[in-house]
Amino acid sequence: MTAVPAADVPLGPLIRLEGLHKWFGDNHVLRGIDLEVQRGSVVVVIGPSGSGKSTLLRCMNLLEEPTEGRVFFEGVELTDVRTDLNRVRRRIGIVFQAFNLFPHMTAKQNITIALRKVLKMEREEAERRALDELRRVGLEGKADSYPGRLSGGQQQRVAIARALALRPHLMLFDEVTSALDPELVKEVLDAMRALAEQGMTMVVVTHEMAFAREVGTRLLFMDNGRILEDAPPRELFAAPRDERTKSFLAHVL
Amino acid sequence: MVETEIRTGTAGETRPRRDLAWLLQQSTAPALATAAVGAASLAVVIVGTLVRVSLGGWVPLRDEVAALTSSGLRALLVAAIVLGVAASAAGWSTYRRMPTRTSREEAVAGAVLGLQGVILGALILVFSYGNVERIAANYLRWSEVTDQVGAFLNGAKITLLLAIGGEFLGVILGVILAIFLISKRATVRAPARAYVNLFRGTPLLLQIAFIGLALPLGFNVHANVLLFALVAFTLNTGAYSAEVFRAGIQSIERGQMEAARGLGMTYLQAMRYAIIPQAVRRIIPPLMNEFVILIKDTSLIVVLGLTAGQRDLFNVGYQGYGNSFNATFYIFAGLGYLIVTLPLIRLVNWVEKRMRSGLVGVTGL
Ligand SMILES: Nc1ncnc2c1ncn2[C@@H]1O[C@H](COP(=O)(O)OP(=O)(O)OP(=O)(O)O)[C@@H](O)[C@H]1O
Ligand SMILES: [Mg+2]
Repeated sequence: MTAVPAADVPLGPLIRLEGLHKWFGDNHVLRGIDLEVQRGSVVVVIGPSGSGKSTLLRCMNLLEEPTEGRVFFEGVELTDVRTDLNRVRRRIGIVFQAFNLFPHMTAKQNITIALRKVLKMEREEAERRALDELRRVGLEGKADSYPGRLSGGQQQRVAIARALALRPHLMLFDEVTSALDPELVKEVLDAMRALAEQGMTMVVVTHEMAFAREVGTRLLFMDNGRILEDAPPRELFAAPRDERTKSFLAHVL
Repeated sequence: MVETEIRTGTAGETRPRRDLAWLLQQSTAPALATAAVGAASLAVVIVGTLVRVSLGGWVPLRDEVAALTSSGLRALLVAAIVLGVAASAAGWSTYRRMPTRTSREEAVAGAVLGLQGVILGALILVFSYGNVERIAANYLRWSEVTDQVGAFLNGAKITLLLAIGGEFLGVILGVILAIFLISKRATVRAPARAYVNLFRGTPLLLQIAFIGLALPLGFNVHANVLLFALVAFTLNTGAYSAEVFRAGIQSIERGQMEAARGLGMTYLQAMRYAIIPQAVRRIIPPLMNEFVILIKDTSLIVVLGLTAGQRDLFNVGYQGYGNSFNATFYIFAGLGYLIVTLPLIRLVNWVEKRMRSGLVGVTGL
């Protein structure tokens, strides 16, 4: 499938970024990112608006194509044009700030569509798994509801269930609580916390500092397309090294 | 739509009932009377004129003119005008003092309807004292037209065949063009874009003339000229519907495609299961509008020099007028178009409303 031998499977990092750069036209958004994410870790990414957090996350499953640099997932180089990205993306779940549920499908159909069309599952099996996943996020009662009839928090939990149903090895979360009313944030964070406790490898872009502190195994601070800090959350909150980190934390804490 | 909203509301809180009894209870006698008199005024003008002329007979022309100038009709019109003036005066002077919203609306409705009765009644009255003979002879001379009903029916058939055939084939062509138009590769887009621009940038009349007259001559191919017309309508509709499809697909939020691809769907799967089902709702109303336009534009085959059996609705009227200088032919043809287009226009508006408000919670499609 790829020219690069899968040498670092299964002991190496789950995902590895090498010298990643991204330009949007003249806008240099990622300026040399090197990152390894180990299995079972929860990497939380914080940083000011426009610093490139979303772009970094979207480069991890090649929804955004890096201008330069390489991305490896489970030893396979995603940036190699010969790699079948559709196969890889089954194993990388992504959840967006705007939920992006399919509005013309029920919660259950949102989940079964990929199971059936991507994993080629039988209908009954797909529905069973969809209901299991909905139960996990506490929404088995909403299986036949359309997204428009669900609250933002419920929609986001369906989106998480939809991604989890494919049994991914890595989950990417891009500010998944930012569009929610404050009272709905907790239910989504709780679902993510439970996931982390089960050992899921996660990369989480968020502004929820309490979540970062409790759940994160690593905290990255990004500014202007670079990773300025990379440390365990408690350490970073206690003693940020970079001036910009200090002022950012002073603003958000 | 509004009803489903309300029905899903919290149980226990009762929805205020807005039935006939409630309306009557909200009304006042003067308001109701004003509305009734105003409506009567307009009704007497319209129904009275139609009934009076029908009684006298629409043909021959002599009877029609006699009916239009009859003292009976004039008396009816004067009565209607009096009613209209009364309703208007009552309505305008009292509506501000009406106690409920319903009664106020009734008073205003009576005043407006009365005013319309006055204006329309006065117009017909003035007309009945004018040169009725000449006007009726030009625009209301039905006898020659009714002789041609068979030709008109055949014309309507041709109009519909051209429009339906052109729309159907054009939509198929449009889907194919749209697939090219939304490609991210410029080399794929370019030919489709050139095609669409060519057909959107030149007059349909020119396309019909070129395909229907110049092509058969230059390439020495001969067939029913209507077939060439159908080709022209297909090619033209293909260009327009391609743009409708493209716009519909591109109007779906980027996040939908990203979510589908993020789940491992291929581009085609994402299109088929996520994007197109949503785009269809946005595409159908403009497509139906295009169809209404096409129904009317089929009349442009007038440039092709048609024989008797080839004439569409407009061309039957056009031919009839050319032979007799009786413009009633145009009026009759116009009515023929309205019979088809008015229900369609209503349907488009209805579908548009449903699709706009009903994106969420609608299965199928
Ligand atoms: N598709 C795109 N086309 C052009 N520019 C883009 C695109 N996506 C992002 N950008 C630009 O890239 C820069 C970084 O955007 P990004 O969304 O990665 O930032 P972010 O750190 O996620 O910010 P936020 O906290 O506001 O979400 C911004 O200047 C943005 O305008
Ligand atoms: Mg972002």
